[in-house]
Amino acid sequence: MKKILVIDDEFIVRRSCEKTLIPMGYEVRLSSSGKEGLEILDKESFNLILLDLKMPDMDGIDVLKEIIEKWPGMKVIMITGYSTVETAVQALRLGAFNHIEKPFTPDILIAAVKEAFEQG
Amino acid sequence: MKNIFRHPEQSLAVKLSIVIGLLMVVGSFIFWYALLYKQKKDIMAIAVRYGNSFIDFTKQSTRYSMLTSQKEKTQVAIENLGTPEGVQRVRIFDHKGKIYFSTFKEDIGNFVDKSSIACKGCHLEPERSSKLLQSPEKWNFYKNNEGSTALKIVSEISNEPSCYNASCHMHSKYDKSLGFVEADLSLALLDKALFNQRLALTFYVFIFVVAVLASLGIINYKIVTNPVRELVRGMEKAAGGDLDSSVPIKSTDEIGELAQTFNSMIKDIKAARDQKERWTQTLEEEIAKKTEEIQKTQASLLQTEKLASLGRMAAGVAHEINNPLTGIVTFAHLLKNNVPPDSSEAEDLNVIIEQAERCAKIIKNLLTFAHATPSEKGEININDLLNRTIYMVKNQAKFHNIKFNINMGESPSITPGDATQFQQIFLNMFLNAVDAMNGRGTISVTTRKVIIDNQPFIEIEFTDTGSGIPEDIRGKLFEPFFTTKPVGQGTGLGLAVSHGIVKHYGGHIDVKSVVGKGTSFFVRLPASA
Repeated sequence: MKKILVIDDEFIVRRSCEKTLIPMGYEVRLSSSGKEGLEILDKESFNLILLDLKMPDMDGIDVLKEIIEKWPGMKVIMITGYSTVETAVQALRLGAFNHIEKPFTPDILIAAVKEAFEQG
Repeated sequence: MKNIFRHPEQSLAVKLSIVIGLLMVVGSFIFWYALLYKQKKDIMAIAVRYGNSFIDFTKQSTRYSMLTSQKEKTQVAIENLGTPEGVQRVRIFDHKGKIYFSTFKEDIGNFVDKSSIACKGCHLEPERSSKLLQSPEKWNFYKNNEGSTALKIVSEISNEPSCYNASCHMHSKYDKSLGFVEADLSLALLDKALFNQRLALTFYVFIFVVAVLASLGIINYKIVTNPVRELVRGMEKAAGGDLDSSVPIKSTDEIGELAQTFNSMIKDIKAARDQKERWTQTLEEEIAKKTEEIQKTQASLLQTEKLASLGRMAAGVAHEINNPLTGIVTFAHLLKNNVPPDSSEAEDLNVIIEQAERCAKIIKNLLTFAHATPSEKGEININDLLNRTIYMVKNQAKFHNIKFNINMGESPSITPGDATQFQQIFLNMFLNAVDAMNGRGTISVTTRKVIIDNQPFIEIEFTDTGSGIPEDIRGKLFEPFFTTKPVGQGTGLGLAVSHGIVKHYGGHIDVKSVVGKGTSFFVRLPASA
């Protein structure tokens, strides 16, 4: 079973991801901050990470940098709250697999996740 | 002229006339006096000459009777000589003053007045000494009893051989002087003539002085007072601000020179004043221009600042709202999966999803407006992009009754920018046009190259045949959330967003509108070259 870690400071976003992805047969772990997410990653292994770009304690870009550094090849989909193409492009350059814009529909999320696994 | 009468002492002409007049009077008096003096002297000299002739005539008349010692005859001759007009008295007396013959018989035997010229003419002291003066005075003038001038003339009767050889033997050979002839001649007629001449001369001189003074006065008035008055009038005019007039003096004298200098001075002052006025006007225009520019800049800054702070706020709001929207959309979808597709619940859930997506759209617009949305800049062919946009909208139901009138500029309109953003502007323009025309009418799209402040711009004109925009709301068109559309139909962000994008690229949007006829929007974007 594919394991997905969702790192987002917003409960409703985490919950939406959980409610969308679990019925699709994925195992989903949730984390409300970048720091906590990295700690979880130290203990468990995941197939995909959904990472919010803008969070209070640690910026999504910094979290991404650390993930790519520690676990090269890890697939990360950036969730951009109010995206700017510059930061999205920056994220992709740093090694993120894709990005989806909030608000997203379950279909968009599923499509993005499926795409990530199909390519991997 | 009034000045002369009011303050004669202050008039140059009067002063000059007085000074010259005084000199004239003094000069004339000296001339008058000298002339009279000389005339009198000459006349007196002539009188003396005639007097001497008379004496000689007397001597000749009495010579024979004297030589023949006929005393009665001599007396008769003397009396006869006293008869003509002007002869007062003729006497013959010896060197002691004893009178022998006289026109007045009662004088005979008497002595002449020793203090008169008869004695004093030759003797310094007739009473004491017989000593003679070096140059004897033989005549003098005096006033007679009638008050007129008289000439007393005395002449010596010299001894000669016919006298001392005469048979009477009255005189010896050694007598030097035999006696004296004295004549008193009245010069009353001469006095009268002199008086008349003096009177005439005085009259002539007076007339001359008066005539010269009058001429002087007139000349002074003509060449001094009058031009000076003209000059003063000109100066008063100039002082009053009238710099167009000049002093009409054409003479070549000092006053003419003064007038010319004054005229050229006024000309210079006028030129300087005109230049100053021109400068002032230019300055005022410059100030007005600058003030307008400053006001525009201020308004623009204010607008920019307003939009910037609004953008920041919008970005924050968007960020916060996107999260709950994600939840709404996701959970509505999840719920929809649990209800039959044709149920009323499914329809309601669709409404929730649609409205949430509408919210998302508003937020997206807000973010675009706040320049938060990225833009990848590239060379955009405006004509192509417009054509694509028109093609896209033509297929929409809203545009089915709209006629497009397309007039693209020949040269490819290339400008650097983001195609999506530009397309958004064009869409906004078309949507606004359709709303203004209630879905029926003509939209004209024209592109052209224009030069503004030496910069090439691409101008895209969108003209509709709609209701037009009332003037009072034209200023608010580009303000965010300003809309004339019914609630729920417009976000009030279309033009604000368009304006923001165009501004971002260094362009601007102008609007011209006639209520009831239609509106033209001019979108100007900087051309690449």
